[in-house]
Amino acid sequence: MKNILKSGLLTVLAAGALSLAVITQASAKDVTLLNVSYDPTRELYADFNKAFAAYWKQKTGDTVIINQSHNGSGKQARSVIEGLPADVVTLALAYDIDALNKNGNLVPADWQNRLPNNSSPYTSTIVFLVRKGNPKGIKDWDDLAKPGVSVVTPNPKTSGGARWNYLAAWAWASQKFNGDDAKIKAYISSLFNNVPVLDTGARGATTTFVQRGIGDVLIAWENEAYLSLKESGTNEFEIVNPSLSILAEPPVTWVDRVVKRHGTAEVAKAYLEYLYTPEGQDIAARNFYRPRLQEVADKYKSQFPDIKLVTIDFFGGWGKAQAAHFADGGTFDQIYKPK
Amino acid sequence: MNIKRTLAVVIAGGALVGQTVRADDSDELKALKQEIDALDQKVRILERNGELDKDAAAEKAKTVPLIKLDGSGFTFSSADTNFVTTLHGLIQFDNRTFFGDKNINGNDGFLLRRARPIFTGTLFHDFDYNFTPDFGGTSVQIFDAYLNYRAKPWLQFKAGKFKPPVGLENLQSDTVTAFNERSVVNDLIPGRDVGFQVWGDIAGGAFSYAVGVFNGVGDARNSANFDFEDNREIAARIFALPFKNTSIKALKGLGIGIAGTWGESSVTNVTGLPGTTGGSLGGYTTDGQQQFFAYNPATGSVVENGTHWRLSPQAYYYYGPFSLMAEYAVSDQQLSRVGPTPARADLQNTAWEVTGGWVLTGEDATYTGVTPRHNFDPKTGGWGAWQLVARYGQLDIDNNTFPLFANPASSATGLETYSVGLNWYLNRDITVKASYSHTDFTGGGKSAALTSPSVVTAHDEDVFFTRIQLSF
Repeated sequence: MKNILKSGLLTVLAAGALSLAVITQASAKDVTLLNVSYDPTRELYADFNKAFAAYWKQKTGDTVIINQSHNGSGKQARSVIEGLPADVVTLALAYDIDALNKNGNLVPADWQNRLPNNSSPYTSTIVFLVRKGNPKGIKDWDDLAKPGVSVVTPNPKTSGGARWNYLAAWAWASQKFNGDDAKIKAYISSLFNNVPVLDTGARGATTTFVQRGIGDVLIAWENEAYLSLKESGTNEFEIVNPSLSILAEPPVTWVDRVVKRHGTAEVAKAYLEYLYTPEGQDIAARNFYRPRLQEVADKYKSQFPDIKLVTIDFFGGWGKAQAAHFADGGTFDQIYKPK
Repeated sequence: MNIKRTLAVVIAGGALVGQTVRADDSDELKALKQEIDALDQKVRILERNGELDKDAAAEKAKTVPLIKLDGSGFTFSSADTNFVTTLHGLIQFDNRTFFGDKNINGNDGFLLRRARPIFTGTLFHDFDYNFTPDFGGTSVQIFDAYLNYRAKPWLQFKAGKFKPPVGLENLQSDTVTAFNERSVVNDLIPGRDVGFQVWGDIAGGAFSYAVGVFNGVGDARNSANFDFEDNREIAARIFALPFKNTSIKALKGLGIGIAGTWGESSVTNVTGLPGTTGGSLGGYTTDGQQQFFAYNPATGSVVENGTHWRLSPQAYYYYGPFSLMAEYAVSDQQLSRVGPTPARADLQNTAWEVTGGWVLTGEDATYTGVTPRHNFDPKTGGWGAWQLVARYGQLDIDNNTFPLFANPASSATGLETYSVGLNWYLNRDITVKASYSHTDFTGGGKSAALTSPSVVTAHDEDVFFTRIQLSF
């Protein structure tokens, strides 16, 4: 009798578990997200999306498909403002996400407080990528303004990375010339006089330097420089760290208006939060972004050299930096005249 | 001199000279290499800038509006095609010449039958609009002004001023009717009205439906853009091409359907009576657009008062150059006579017609017109497309109309009409028509009044039409 009862109970339990599995499977759904990102993050998000999809499937049973869009950060922000239905944006600088609030209230004004580290799960900085053997002897920022040196950097009007490049150069020049505006401008002008091609984004600039073989030095995101070394091998290029650079903090957020319309708020938030997890941080570090999580930063310490860094606060924040340098009629427009 | 020393000096001198030459070559080569490297860089830069310019041009092209001009009109479109507007045009230059109309003055002449700029377009891919004013006739009117939302091909919503879904020939475009003027069946069909309609095409148009609610207008009358009369009129139509998606070629062009309206009207509404171009009272007109019947009792005046319903079974058949269209319509209307001796009646008028055509040059005839294979161009031997058309129609007025609601001495109780015509389609946009229409009246013609309908029904009507039409 006892055995019959036990068998019966086990059978009922097994049937219940099977039914639950079937019901769960039947109610599992497909979710699609669009991540609108800046130019050089293709490899990062290719790895990250795979990991997040696996995590989400295990957690909820739902299949999440993440579509990526990459281009210059400024261009991407404008596209989202004009209707590109981004569930999340992972752009190069906070100013470009602020624009989503100012133009159409796509994100709230306090978006940066919603995730840790001012919504910046990883950081990077600006370094120089030079030809193997460094034939032009590039050591620091002043070498980039010398005659006969050809510099590759993207257009600050369209590329977030280019804006970080420009501000890093300006910060160095500010220190070198003790804040003398005329000398700083003269230096920046000389630097941009050495720029033969102005790509719209950081990846385009890498293509120009690495694949088209143009220029003596590429001013690049640190992660982009290391990626180029990894892909092209150390026989073609080498990295030169300048004496001073800037702490680039690429931010991320979900686009409230879009996720509300798509019904993807929960998964979009989870997607970005996953960037802060140990696995997310490890993926970032493997793709040469400086992780925030200390345990992961310690693991990859030897990969990232110590460079003296200034932050955007050096310029009074992004609002002031954008207005002074990159807005129409700003310093960049005064200095750079297309050839 | 010692020969050995001389030889040693010569050899040493030669080695020295050789060394000098190699050092010069090396410097020159280095300089040449640098120059080549610099030129190589220049070429690479030029190529890369060319690539970027091309990308920028492609990006810019995405925002450049598109402009197209062809036989279908002048089209403007935003680069993303969210805003598309097309300007079409329709001009119909007619001539009417009446024969044997002894006592009728002022009915022969040229006229600008229709002169319309037609604005159509699509917004955000799913919202179509049409705005059509007409400058022909005696005053400028808005004929069409509507917005249509295509949720699905089988579910669409239309609002504004447009033709209610009733008459088969009436729903045919003004540019492709067989004759200059539609048949007498259209005397009983509502013209353009203001309202809202749900409609759709199912199975690729094999079945279509439409149901709408409108202000309600009298037979052959166009709405005056508003009608604050409290009552509304419902119109509905279904039409099927049952063999459209089959392989039976001979029956693919067979279409059958039925349509109807139902509404109520109050006693103050005179726009509920038929519209007419021939006289001052509500009534019906001939093929020649002359009023042969009017609600003209000896005393009092007539108004619509009560229910007005219509029913119209309809069909067409197209097969190669052959075309056939047939329609029947009944218009049942409750009327009142107001005045010293009031009266009330429920009157039912009926009409039917059959129109046949044959495209002599072999092109296919369709409900949407004939497209010539070879445009008219004597230089290349192209003569366009030629079509022979013929029509028979009948209209009967309810006998109970007389004498309380119409004067039997002047208004006919019915008519029969025969028409033949030849249509020349020079190309897709230009058509020339010529037709002859004969109408026999029953009743009427006994009054001495020299006004419509008396003077019209006094004799048979014989009229020769021509038309030169431009439409794009």
